Amino acid sequence: MGKVNTILGPIAAEQLGITAMHEHIGFGLPGCDLDTKWWEARPKMLEVTIDKLKHFRELGGQTIVDCTGIGTGRDISYWQVVSRVTGVNIVACTGFVSGDTVLPYFRDKSIEYLADLFYHEITVGIEGTNVKAGAIKCGVSRGGLNELDEKVYRAAARAAVATGVPILTHLSINADRQMDLFEMEGLSLDRVVIGHSDGKEGLDPARDFRIAERGAYVGYDTIGFDTEKGTPEVPAPFWARPRAERLDQVMDLFKAGYENRAIISCDANCFALGWASTEHSVAELLEVFVPELQERGVSDETVELLLVDTPAKLLTMRDPQPNLIKAAKEAVEA
Amino acid sequence: MVNSFGKSDLGIVNTVLGPVSVAELGVVLVHEVLVSKIPGAEFAPEMDMDESKQFNTLKQSLKEYRRLGGGTIVDRSGMFRGRNVKLYRALSKETEVHIVASTGLGPASMVGSYFTTQQTEPPGPMPLDRLSEMFANEISQGTVIPRRERTGPAGLIATEANKKGITRFEEHLFRGSALAAQQTGATITFQYGREPEHELDILEKEGADISRIIVGGLDRLESDARGDTFKLARRGVMVALDHAGWTPHEGYVSDDRRVELILELFAEGLGNRVLISTNSVGYAIGHDTAHQGFDYLLSIFVPKLKKAGVTDEQVRQLLEVNPQRILSLEGDKGVYKPQVEGADITWVK
Ligand SMILES: [Zn+2]
Repeated sequence: MGKVNTILGPIAAEQLGITAMHEHIGFGLPGCDLDTKWWEARPKMLEVTIDKLKHFRELGGQTIVDCTGIGTGRDISYWQVVSRVTGVNIVACTGFVSGDTVLPYFRDKSIEYLADLFYHEITVGIEGTNVKAGAIKCGVSRGGLNELDEKVYRAAARAAVATGVPILTHLSINADRQMDLFEMEGLSLDRVVIGHSDGKEGLDPARDFRIAERGAYVGYDTIGFDTEKGTPEVPAPFWARPRAERLDQVMDLFKAGYENRAIISCDANCFALGWASTEHSVAELLEVFVPELQERGVSDETVELLLVDTPAKLLTMRDPQPNLIKAAKEAVEA
Repeated sequence: MVNSFGKSDLGIVNTVLGPVSVAELGVVLVHEVLVSKIPGAEFAPEMDMDESKQFNTLKQSLKEYRRLGGGTIVDRSGMFRGRNVKLYRALSKETEVHIVASTGLGPASMVGSYFTTQQTEPPGPMPLDRLSEMFANEISQGTVIPRRERTGPAGLIATEANKKGITRFEEHLFRGSALAAQQTGATITFQYGREPEHELDILEKEGADISRIIVGGLDRLESDARGDTFKLARRGVMVALDHAGWTPHEGYVSDDRRVELILELFAEGLGNRVLISTNSVGYAIGHDTAHQGFDYLLSIFVPKLKKAGVTDEQVRQLLEVNPQRILSLEGDKGVYKPQVEGADITWVK
């Protein structure tokens, strides 16, 4: 079928198996590393992380896409240990989680510079390694899509066209504008997941249908951020949802025949880096959410589509067109 | 190494190798930057992050500074702009120049979103008490090496305001700095943004001791035109004419004017409130380097001062007495009791 970049090297799309499309080994906002409040001994972090991914693997999970972009905790050498120990494939993302997370050095850079940066990480390697990114992350800042976000979106689209990797976004807020930006840059929307459509932040179930109708994928990918999990010590985050309500939302889209336009994932942090997460693991996708879907009558074929076929289709690198980045650059220079 | 942790006429200063008696500092450059990195540059493929190059470049500059009679250099860039205390410790041991590192954050344009836009609803900055706790701990327990350990302590709190006018987040940083200063007895130094007096008010309102504050950037053309230096020195802060060698072309007064200002300040009896430095960058990552070096002040500027009639005693006041007093953690209150003595590693957790 084709090639997918993982952090231990390229693999065939057929090797992906059951894939969680939006996960994190550990995410934290830039700067959190300096606050000792969040420090934990590496061996402990590693143990917790390995336990969660092992459990995911035991339930049949084989691959995660880690949607932590540049500067928010992406740690290739650490992830390689995790992948080797657990046998779970990890696909790394280039790009930025949102404009908010773009560090000062990159804030004033041009679209061309950012596209080149993402292209470099997909075709040459990440942070001096030869480990190549297999997807691109971009997203919406707190308060809505802003100018910096849009710059990153355009750069992400250009790098996606040039390399053939997919894009996953953080948040579905301003979804129509997000999709417009991708299309303006010549990217087909079937290469895009508009993420966190099931999160409470900017929730708009009608929007899911517009995403599906335009041919992008709806990201039901905050599964397990349940309001029911909140405790006095660790309250549920503001994007959490009641479980049944999320399930209703997902089923509404599926009942309309759009099972082929959605992905399901947890956005779980194996070990959160700069914030307190409620109990959460990618394993819940297979242990809790899939059985709930099946209880609601979702067929095994649809489950297979959601967990295997659609992720493989998305992650398979599609006809790279590197000349397009060059052409865009030349057009600017001319 | 340390002559007194308690009451002392001299007081102690936190260097990256641990607390030392102020008497050991000698000549001090108060506003310089050793490694200056635009945050995030380390992730750019075009950046060379070879620390041996940083070490060799800085070693040469520091040795030259030492050869000219320099004793101490203060890195005034805070905790998020390339500060590398492990590197500074190695450099200090190698060159025998005391290095004082700073904690603190700012300007807002040089800060990561963990500090500005936390994952709360609505989003907000890191709470004031947490901010001040973080700064204070870097002085009392050691500076952080991300997610692993604390090493040599910070010696002062540095912050900076936007040149277009202090932002709300920067006000927050100023307030956090003021609280941390009160908890530790450390000095606050800030590069003013647009209105130094207003920015000083923010610190004062939060309870900071005005005699323990350095205002930097006062040799900018517009502050000279307004007479800021005199107004602020009369209020009792330490004023820093800290861009020696910079020119009107770059927005700063000429060295001739800088010398004149110093003479006028002494004439008005404010000589005990003046600091001079060059705001040089020893090693820049992700931006252009300023042209001055750590040698400029002693080799070029001080001779200019002397030629204009500034006495040896007055030079000593500017380069030794004033910086030593302001860097002393005990200040006038003697509140500081260090918990670190420069151990190589203080593991956290
Ligand atoms: Zn995520």
